[in-house]
Amino acid sequence: MQTTKGLKLADILTTIVISIVFGIVYKLWGPFYYFVKPFGLHVDQLIYGMWFIAATVAFLIIRKPGVALLAEIAASSGEFIMGSEWGLEVLLYGVVQGLFAEAAFAAFRYKQFDVFVVSLAAIGSTIGSLIMDFYKGYIEALAPWNLALFLLARFVGAVLISGVFASSLVKALEATGVTQMVRSASKEDYEQLDR
Amino acid sequence: MECIASVEQLRLKFPGKETLLFKDLSLSFKKGEKVLLIGPSGCGKSTLLQVLSGLIPHSVDIPMKAKHIRVPDNWGYVFQDPDSQFCMPFVDEEIAFVLENISVPREQMPERIEGLLRAVNLQVPPHTNIHTLSGGMKQRLALASVLALEPDVLFLDEPTAMIDDEGTEMIWRTVKQIAYDKTVIIVEHKIEHVLDFVDRIILFNDAGEIVADGEASTIFHNYKEVIASQGVWYPRIWDDYKKKKKVRRHSSEQREVICLENFQGYRNKEVKIRVNTARVHEGEWIAVTGKNGAGKSTLLHALMKLIPTDGEYKVYGNRLEQTKQLARRIAFVFQNPEFQFVTNSVWEEMAYSLRLEKRTEQEIASEVERLLKMFHLEEQKKQHPYQLSMGQKRRLSVAASIISGQKVFLLDEPTFGQDAKNTFALLELFESYREKGAAIIMVTHDEQIVKHFATRRWIIENGQLVRDEPVMPETKKALSVQGGSSREMGYSLS
Amino acid sequence: MRWDIHYRETWLHRTNPSLKLLVMMSIFILVLFLHNPNVLINLSIGLFLLFFIYTGYPLKYLLLFFLPFFVIFVSTASSMTLFGQGTTTWVQWGLVHVTKESFLRGMHLGFRALTFALLGLIFSLTTRPVYLFYSLMQQLKLKPKYAYSFLAGVRLIPIMLEEFQTVQNALKVRGAGHSGTLEKVKRYAVPLLSQSIRRAQRIAVAMEAKRFSNETKRTFYYRIGFSKYDLMFLFSMIGIIMLSYYAATVFPYIPVTDVR
Ligand SMILES: Nc1ncnc2c1ncn2[C@@H]1O[C@H](COP(=O)(O)OP(=O)(O)OP(=O)(O)O)[C@@H](O)[C@H]1O
Ligand SMILES: Nc1ncnc2c1ncn2[C@@H]1O[C@H](COP(=O)(O)OP(=O)(O)OP(=O)(O)O)[C@@H](O)[C@H]1O
Ligand SMILES: [Mg+2]
Ligand SMILES: [Mg+2]
Repeated sequence: MQTTKGLKLADILTTIVISIVFGIVYKLWGPFYYFVKPFGLHVDQLIYGMWFIAATVAFLIIRKPGVALLAEIAASSGEFIMGSEWGLEVLLYGVVQGLFAEAAFAAFRYKQFDVFVVSLAAIGSTIGSLIMDFYKGYIEALAPWNLALFLLARFVGAVLISGVFASSLVKALEATGVTQMVRSASKEDYEQLDR
Repeated sequence: MECIASVEQLRLKFPGKETLLFKDLSLSFKKGEKVLLIGPSGCGKSTLLQVLSGLIPHSVDIPMKAKHIRVPDNWGYVFQDPDSQFCMPFVDEEIAFVLENISVPREQMPERIEGLLRAVNLQVPPHTNIHTLSGGMKQRLALASVLALEPDVLFLDEPTAMIDDEGTEMIWRTVKQIAYDKTVIIVEHKIEHVLDFVDRIILFNDAGEIVADGEASTIFHNYKEVIASQGVWYPRIWDDYKKKKKVRRHSSEQREVICLENFQGYRNKEVKIRVNTARVHEGEWIAVTGKNGAGKSTLLHALMKLIPTDGEYKVYGNRLEQTKQLARRIAFVFQNPEFQFVTNSVWEEMAYSLRLEKRTEQEIASEVERLLKMFHLEEQKKQHPYQLSMGQKRRLSVAASIISGQKVFLLDEPTFGQDAKNTFALLELFESYREKGAAIIMVTHDEQIVKHFATRRWIIENGQLVRDEPVMPETKKALSVQGGSSREMGYSLS
Repeated sequence: MRWDIHYRETWLHRTNPSLKLLVMMSIFILVLFLHNPNVLINLSIGLFLLFFIYTGYPLKYLLLFFLPFFVIFVSTASSMTLFGQGTTTWVQWGLVHVTKESFLRGMHLGFRALTFALLGLIFSLTTRPVYLFYSLMQQLKLKPKYAYSFLAGVRLIPIMLEEFQTVQNALKVRGAGHSGTLEKVKRYAVPLLSQSIRRAQRIAVAMEAKRFSNETKRTFYYRIGFSKYDLMFLFSMIGIIMLSYYAATVFPYIPVTDVR
């Protein structure tokens, strides 16, 4: 067992690789998003939450400080490098969304890993993305009923996708035993050596 | 001589397993020794190499302890899997990564890189994308980047598991040239290429204990019984095997199973495999041979319709268009065992196909238990397929695919990385199916298997079936399929 | 990034990646605070020309890359146009309320999205990830363990795409039971993710086996420095911005200078 400061190489690499998988998803999500966007009434906002999922999934798997932020940055860089429709914008969004998700996990001292915390992180990311939108998209200028619908759709979508779905995905991953490789061995395991 | 690596009273246990993999194992290596570790599949050879190099527990967190452990200062490690040991996209960048790690000045790098590529005989321009290299070339690159470290100790974990004869020969020749003054610790099942290089052999048993340790020249003589009983490969094992078991081969013409005419398979819209004409009958065992990258796996993929194909292809006289339909008649084993695992435990993996057939739980349980025993996987039945040793993964992938009783088998190197006991068990199992009228198409690099078990041989060269010939001690003539040149292959029947 | 397409190397490829990234980020932030549609339109024309002439890709691909951005333009512009607030009503039809203000704002947003997209596209078309990360390590002191992890991750992208195919093949060959959509998503996502995690772990071990360490000082195979191309890049960017402002005051397209 090691006690180096910060994340180990294996943690970083794992986070980044997971994030790149989601980066691909993020990239594919773009066309899907603007395909549903013209329907209006903010149907598109319901699926917006997918862009926060890297942070929650990576954190649930690796369970270490800094992972959520790194994951969101890495996923958006991946999306960016693959030629995102939103270009440079995604990098900045990634940083902000990651920071807010990270803050949610930090509030629980990185000790809680249930649906509740991840949903909170998803809500955090949503707030982050809204702050960005505020500068970028003049959302405050939408008609009030429309703005309310917009916000509701984004929050609900985020909790469903990056909260509930993310944690059920990680449950399924845990069943494969792969997460055991990532997390360090327990004390009991070491004790059993002496039998 | 000076001791360079050692462990004393090593204990190691995988999390979640009941038993210790190593219990009070002690072992030491002298400087300059060339040591070969042999033992049954799954006995812990790969794990031990990682302990000796310090990768466990430094990089891989597995519970272990030892009274005393001495890890060499300057070592290099070639892993079993060629694909997941590189971190850069191009050949030169990968080697440069290693040179950067040991702070070689930038100006010296290009020269060093070319020198290393020459040393391992990898003849490609330095700036080549690693993704385009064949398995053999990748292993050579792995060797080059390890040599860049200028190690005193080399750990080699089956560096030639999936490589053709010529490539294996080349790699070992390279190792011999560059490592004559180094300490080399090797794990390898295909021992014939390394026997003249090593001077000490250590034999492990199923329980991860050392049962024999001695000079390479005498060990097979002094410990013959022990070695044979552990079911590992030893020189002349095939002669002994033939004495014990008479492999009868009769391939009287029976019903036609597969019929191919002007058959072609495509990858990225390019023809990657072409078969002008070929037939497969019941009771035939066809060995598909050829160099790395010739197109053997591609042929099997085409037969399974996993890639686009055209031309005439009939199975039992029917044209089947979909993989799903084919899968009901044909059992398929991928070259990379990890490619076909779909469940989370060994037991479930075996039961998977039976479940789809809606058999009763009782039937499933008894069938699975039977095969687990046959393939020596009982103790691993709760493990995740990915947590198996190389040989165990291979056996599981074979067992899980053939369990549901198809009568045509497409097997892509089903015996690589396997000890002798399990290889023969697998071959005998296939043989028993064949006797009952199954047809087997099997890719292999092992000439002994071709000689002793196959009834026909297909030679693939540059994406084409160039020869189709019976393998019969008494036949001398070979059927030549038009359109190919197999002169330089130098295969001969005798 | 687009390894397989043959392109001509231009001066944009030779500018220092970190500098390029920082300059583009600055323009990005500038545009966030830019509310004059005239300047913005000029700016996007300038960037468009840069994209078209100096990225070095064949025309066919340039058009192909550009197509989705056009769709983004329309979709971004339309939602603000149709539902925004404003005083000068043009069309009112049920919930749809198009005003002059909302239309202008919508168009402004469309051009803004276009500018961001062009910035990103120019960058990713003219920057090899390897150079980018080497430059980030050398100029911006990014820690090697992050940089090489990213590079290893980038190398894995094509392998992961193949893996997707592999999972599909395995399910075909082994036969698959009937299942719902969510079940299906998981059936692909779980093996892909778990395989990626395993692969990442193995590569991390292999990297450490090659004596990669964060502590020791390292040399660099590629030395990414500065050259005349960086000046050229800096000046052309400043030039485009100044020209945009100048042209906007001399030849405005629309008499509005702030869409808020
Ligand atoms: N992560 C793991 N979790 C649990 N058990 C494991 C894990 N990895 C390996 N094992 C078990 O440890 C044993 C030793 O594995 P190892 O890979 O060292 O075998 P090996 O001697 O190299 O075999 P082979 O010749 O087949 O490669 C095997 O029985 C394997 O099932
Ligand atoms: N997924 C793929 N996509 C594109 N080309 C491929 C793919 N797989 C294999 N090839 C190419 O097809 C050719 C034949 O490869 P194949 O894997 O069939 O060789 P093989 O005879 O099975 O070799 P080996 O003995 O190494 O397994 C090679 O040139 C290889 O580069
Ligand atoms: Mg092994
Ligand atoms: Mg093959």
